[in-house]
Amino acid sequence: MYSVPKKFPTTIVGSYPKFSAAQEAIRRRKAGEVSEEEFRELVKPAIREAVEDHLWAGVDIISDGEQAREDMVVYFAERMRGYAVGDWVRIFDNEYFRKPIISSRLEWVAPMTVDHWRFASSISQGRPVKGILTGPYTMMEWSFDLHYKDRRELILDLAKAIRREVEELVRAGAQYIQVDEPALSTRPWREDAELLKEALDIIFRGIGAKRIVHICYGKLEKILPYILDYPVDQFDLEMVNSDFRLLPYLKEYGYNKELAFGAVDVHKLQVESVEEVEAAIDRVMRADVVGPEKAYVKPDCGMKRLPREIAREKMKNMVLAAQRAREKY
Amino acid sequence: MGAWSSVLGGFPRSRHVRKVLRDYERGSVTHGELEAAVAEASALLIGAQLAAGLTYVTDGMVDWHDIFRPFVESWRNVTPTGLLRYFDNNYFYRIPLFTGKPEPKGLVLAPRVRRFAKLAEPAGLKVVLPGPYTFAAMSEVRGLEREELAEAIAKLMGSEVRAAVEAGARAVQIDEPLLSDQEAERDEAVLAAELASKVAKEAGEAKTILAVYFDVPKAEVYEALLEAKVSCLSLDVIDAPERAAKLIASKGLKEGCAALGLINARNVYDDDLGKLEELFLSLTKGYEGEPGVTTSTWLDLLPYEYGIRKARILGLLAQRLGVR
Ligand SMILES: [Zn+2]
Repeated sequence: MYSVPKKFPTTIVGSYPKFSAAQEAIRRRKAGEVSEEEFRELVKPAIREAVEDHLWAGVDIISDGEQAREDMVVYFAERMRGYAVGDWVRIFDNEYFRKPIISSRLEWVAPMTVDHWRFASSISQGRPVKGILTGPYTMMEWSFDLHYKDRRELILDLAKAIRREVEELVRAGAQYIQVDEPALSTRPWREDAELLKEALDIIFRGIGAKRIVHICYGKLEKILPYILDYPVDQFDLEMVNSDFRLLPYLKEYGYNKELAFGAVDVHKLQVESVEEVEAAIDRVMRADVVGPEKAYVKPDCGMKRLPREIAREKMKNMVLAAQRAREKY
Repeated sequence: MGAWSSVLGGFPRSRHVRKVLRDYERGSVTHGELEAAVAEASALLIGAQLAAGLTYVTDGMVDWHDIFRPFVESWRNVTPTGLLRYFDNNYFYRIPLFTGKPEPKGLVLAPRVRRFAKLAEPAGLKVVLPGPYTFAAMSEVRGLEREELAEAIAKLMGSEVRAAVEAGARAVQIDEPLLSDQEAERDEAVLAAELASKVAKEAGEAKTILAVYFDVPKAEVYEALLEAKVSCLSLDVIDAPERAAKLIASKGLKEGCAALGLINARNVYDDDLGKLEELFLSLTKGYEGEPGVTTSTWLDLLPYEYGIRKARILGLLAQRLGVR
């Protein structure tokens, strides 16, 4: 069994540039040419490539690269009961996606991510693979609702469905469960932060795996006091892109969980040098928020929008910088 | 008491428009064919707004990739760059990068007005433009001060507005969504109000509307905006109805004219007209100015059918309140 370093373990947020096998599989599934089972098989060569890149770079805790997920919300919406086929809305320029529509009570139907988690784990040479799920707040915010008309009821049903998937992942052996909530920072209101807390309680209560929530960008400092007691072991946060603005706030509020912090910027095409990543780690250490045992080094956010070569190199330099940091701290 | 009505801004693209735009980008459709498709789509949307009985209509702006883009593309010294999240939407705009004072290559609004003003009758055609403050603040700026840029944008927008009104626009809407941010400061609102006043000065007899949306502004920001020399101040009520009610109760509506964003432009429910009528009556109680009702934001982030449906629901609300 691979042993994750005690200090500065390296990890990723989850998504990785799509390999052609995955793109083709997604296209064929949409065109109705393949069944869900066939789709899953067709994606596997792409997952293999993503896993190999993570291994090549030397990342400690990896993912399946989310190769099957065309979109982080649509993927789950298409596999839960209660969602109708979405309708086209703009995401930028003339790019559109089918924004899911909730048309009846939401329920978990069958495992949505376990097969690919298992496959990635089987080829990860013992390195742990994160189970990664889109969180209930983001699922709610980035869907249209025609059924609940009550945000609390809606998010709690989503939480129950996601909880079920978490249980399946843990049963399969996942030691790290991450819930992604990029939408939270776009509406930094106390009510919203508290609503998500209630949902996370449902998702994570009694779960025997490392519980992680990923939140990125936006004005997180405004809701920090309301999220720090979330029932999770680790916050996975963007840092570089906002120039580590959050650090003094984390210090001020007496942060005491594990901190996975962004040490490379996924919005920049330029590959950070090892020294630059080291400097990012130094900055977090100087802020005196967490010790090296509680500090995980990772990119700000998912890497799906980067060219593959750049994503690979960024991971590689991140791993080298973490190695140096282990000697230093 | 009655209210005038208008959709706040742009509409979603139909499947056909999306396809033509895609084909145009691939080079299989000419610029002329693209323009024709956009004109047809605009005419249809104007028809939908007329059928809904709205007082002012827009051409739908279906060819705009984001609120800044048509201006960015018709000015020198600015280019669209990377994507950034647009407020709290799952939608991204391209950050304009200014490398010097912008200079116009041509006008954006007037040609559209010439094309559609007559078609829009008996409704008035409304043009919509990004406010200079929001425009400058949401751009990347090199080689000049941000405030200097905001001034330059105000000047260019002034020329846009003058030409648009000469061409037949009956209302001009200046959008300053950034001022709904809870971190916006009074100083910023003062500057935004001054710049909007400069733009509005060029509008002659047309109605000028300063629109703030995506959230309800803070009291001190709202106070500063009330000072803007525009005919009308437009608020997004439905994104935070309780805060909006509190704000209006303490600071009042703009003297002369105030628009209330009551139809939710960011969900697909059919709005509850009974409740909205009640809300409207309570917010405008004792108000002596001219109230208007609008959608809470643009409709461009809804699916196409729902965009059209929301315009119709807005019309039904206006009908219920009594057309002015
Ligand atoms: Zn993220």
